[in-house]
Amino acid sequence: MNAQVWIWRVLVAATLIVSAWLVSTLDWTRVAPSWEFLLLALGRSWWLAIIAMAVGSAAAVPLALLRVYGPPWPRRAATLLIEAVRATPELMIIFWVYFTLPLVTGSQVSAWNAALGSLSVIAAAYLAEVVRAGLYSVPAAQREAARALGLRTLAVFRLVVLPQALRNMLPALIAQLVSLFKTTSLVYAIGVMDFFRAVSVTNNAVYAPYPLYIVLAAGYFVSCWTITQVVRRFDPAYQLLD
Amino acid sequence: MDWAILWEYREALAGGLVITLAVSALAILGATVVGVMVGCLRGSGSYLLQRLTATYTELLRNLPLIVKLFFLYFVVGLPALPAALAALVLHQSAYIADVTAAGLRSVGRGQFDAGLSLGLKRWQVYRRIILPQTVRVMLPPMTSQYVSVIKNTSVVALIGVADLTFQTQQINVETFRGFEAATAATLLYMLVAGAVIGAMTRLQRRQTAMP
Repeated sequence: MNAQVWIWRVLVAATLIVSAWLVSTLDWTRVAPSWEFLLLALGRSWWLAIIAMAVGSAAAVPLALLRVYGPPWPRRAATLLIEAVRATPELMIIFWVYFTLPLVTGSQVSAWNAALGSLSVIAAAYLAEVVRAGLYSVPAAQREAARALGLRTLAVFRLVVLPQALRNMLPALIAQLVSLFKTTSLVYAIGVMDFFRAVSVTNNAVYAPYPLYIVLAAGYFVSCWTITQVVRRFDPAYQLLD
Repeated sequence: MDWAILWEYREALAGGLVITLAVSALAILGATVVGVMVGCLRGSGSYLLQRLTATYTELLRNLPLIVKLFFLYFVVGLPALPAALAALVLHQSAYIADVTAAGLRSVGRGQFDAGLSLGLKRWQVYRRIILPQTVRVMLPPMTSQYVSVIKNTSVVALIGVADLTFQTQQINVETFRGFEAATAATLLYMLVAGAVIGAMTRLQRRQTAMP
């Protein structure tokens, strides 16, 4: 066991040294002038993700409540909406909102608004399922006990069910938020200048694929990793799984 | 609305569907083999293997599929179809590895020790005790993994593989009948996903019915 720990540390150190050496041998002079453009585009990707997360979470709670507690017809409608979005490829949804809805409604949608709209719809449907699983994770006895103590329906939900549900759904929430940030890379396909498109455009201009792909991978990795770390802070009982 | 356009482009749509089905099937197969292998290594108890496999999943889960796809296609220079398959396998195998590791963990060490103390050999314990229980736990999350693979195949359209999404865009570019084409493609994707869900549910029923 102890020998393996040391082998692992040596491996990590060697990998770090070799990659640092490889990175330093690359020609960064052609990429360096674009750093501001690339950083701005990464910010745009974050902006897309944050708005979609906010709109998605706001819509997800009523959707999930409708699906769990709603009267029959609204419940069916919510279920249909959630399942239809979850069964359709994300790229198709983005195309739908950008190319197809204008054909029906007759009014043009800008690529940026189409990206925001489609990502919000995707976030709402997937987060609704996270919330629903969270609601199911709270035992019915909790709700009954709160009722027996004389709390009203809203208070039961707000003070007893929701806090426990929120804690139980944190791991799934992290997975969905990371997944959503990764999905923002698909709006590249409708021409939004997000981080992915910005890197592609820079590469077309200066042709430096290796440094740029390192920038691309590092940008996404650090962003997703940050989301994971931030959400984990809200979990008091978080522990490493392995 | 002009739904006749779909009939006119029936060959393109059918061809796209075949490509989507083929890529999905191969990617599901590859991701399952790689993912289950990595997951088993992760549960093997060796510190070094645990660290290595954890790095594998952590790295791949935090990068968008399209980044892997474009890396393999433009930087490494693989042809379109192998690049698409490799990217899909790399992407989903990281998730399947986590599902496998969680499944193995759910069975519990006690089952293993009990099997050994009953006089079974190690491989018999795996074959007769650990594996059947693990598979039963893993089937529901694996279903959603497979549906993800099918949906993710749509990304291969971006590097010019003529799948269903690609054909939809073609129809939109040639005839501006994007609504009809997108509706047809969405329904076809749902049909494929529905078929996979149905098959997995049947498998699940058979597994749980087993004594």
